[in-house]
Order: sequence, then structure tokens, then C-alpha cells
Amino acid sequence: MIKVIKSKNTIEILGHALYDDYGKDIVCASTSCIFITSINACIRIDKDFLTYEENKDGMKITIKGHNKDCLIIIDNMLDLLEELANEYKDYIKVRRN
Amino acid sequence: MELIKLNIQLFAHVKAQGSTQNGRDSRGRRLGAKASDGQTVSAGSILYRQRGTKIYPGNNVGMGKDHTLFAKINGIVKFERLGRDKKKVSVYES
Repeated sequence: MIKVIKSKNTIEILGHALYDDYGKDIVCASTSCIFITSINACIRIDKDFLTYEENKDGMKITIKGHNKDCLIIIDNMLDLLEELANEYKDYIKVRRN
Repeated sequence: MELIKLNIQLFAHVKAQGSTQNGRDSRGRRLGAKASDGQTVSAGSILYRQRGTKIYPGNNVGMGKDHTLFAKINGIVKFERLGRDKKKVSVYES
């Protein structure tokens, strides 16, 4: 299961969907696309808005800037991931602290 | 920060080949005959372990709630036919 944990200024996306075999996992593909699209959009708007680091557990994003548009994009990303989580409860979970 | 390269399996478990949800099995239950035809057995000894009644209890043979067949008396084991297509096991005094 993928766990999305939003804290004050960090977002962690941990784990694996395990919905299907590698290459056929639509939950993972959706999560990846939502995530990558949003992060790249923020970087294109303000390259100092966030930093991300990949580790063996997943991805960790640290929000550093206050760009309004980027904040909207991040919120939109979390909303989409929550919608996905409602559809695939056993494979992705979103928590906003 | 660099843009992230699109990888739609970013959060997929990296496995070369497909995984299966199978691969589990229970331990063998050692069913079947515990005494052979013509063998001398004592009362109470188990003759046959089974699921359901593959073999029916005959003379001087009892059946437990798990369909285990056991001897009621000391004697010799006899596997016999029961009707057209069934089998039974009996114990006769030696």
C-alpha cells in the first residue's frame, strides 16, 4: 500500500501499491503521474519552491517557498491522490496531519 | 531542483517477473491406510485415515467423527467390497 503523509511542510509518499504486476499496476501509474506532474509544474513555476529526495521507501518533498500557484498545485495533487485513495482503498491511503 | 523524469511505475514494486498471490500450501495430512489387509491389530488401533467415507466401517470397526476407521476388537484386518462400487474394512477374530 502507498501511504501519502502530509505534514506541516513535508509530503512523504511511501511504499508500493502492489495492485498488480510491475508494468500493469494502474494505481501506481496514477499515483506516479499525479505526483510527477505536480512536482514538475511547481519546479517550472518556482525552482526554489520545494526540494525532493528519493530513498528506498519512496519520495519525500519539502516545501520551502510560499508561491501561491505552487501551493494550489500541491493542494490539487493531494486532492487527486485522495480521490484515488477513495477508489482504491486497499492500495493507497492519504493522511493530512 | 531538476524536473522529475516521467516514470509511471515510480511507486510500483520493482520485480523482474510477475508475482503471484499463490505459493502457499498446507502440510500433508498423512491420510490413508494405517493397517494392511491380513494384518493382526489390537482393539482401538486406527485402520484408515480419510476425509469423508472413501472406505466404510465393516464388522467390528468403528468410525470417528473425522471418519477415521478403528478396530473394536483384537483381530485380523480385512478390506472388502461394499455393494457395486464401495469398499469397507472389517476386523475378524483371529
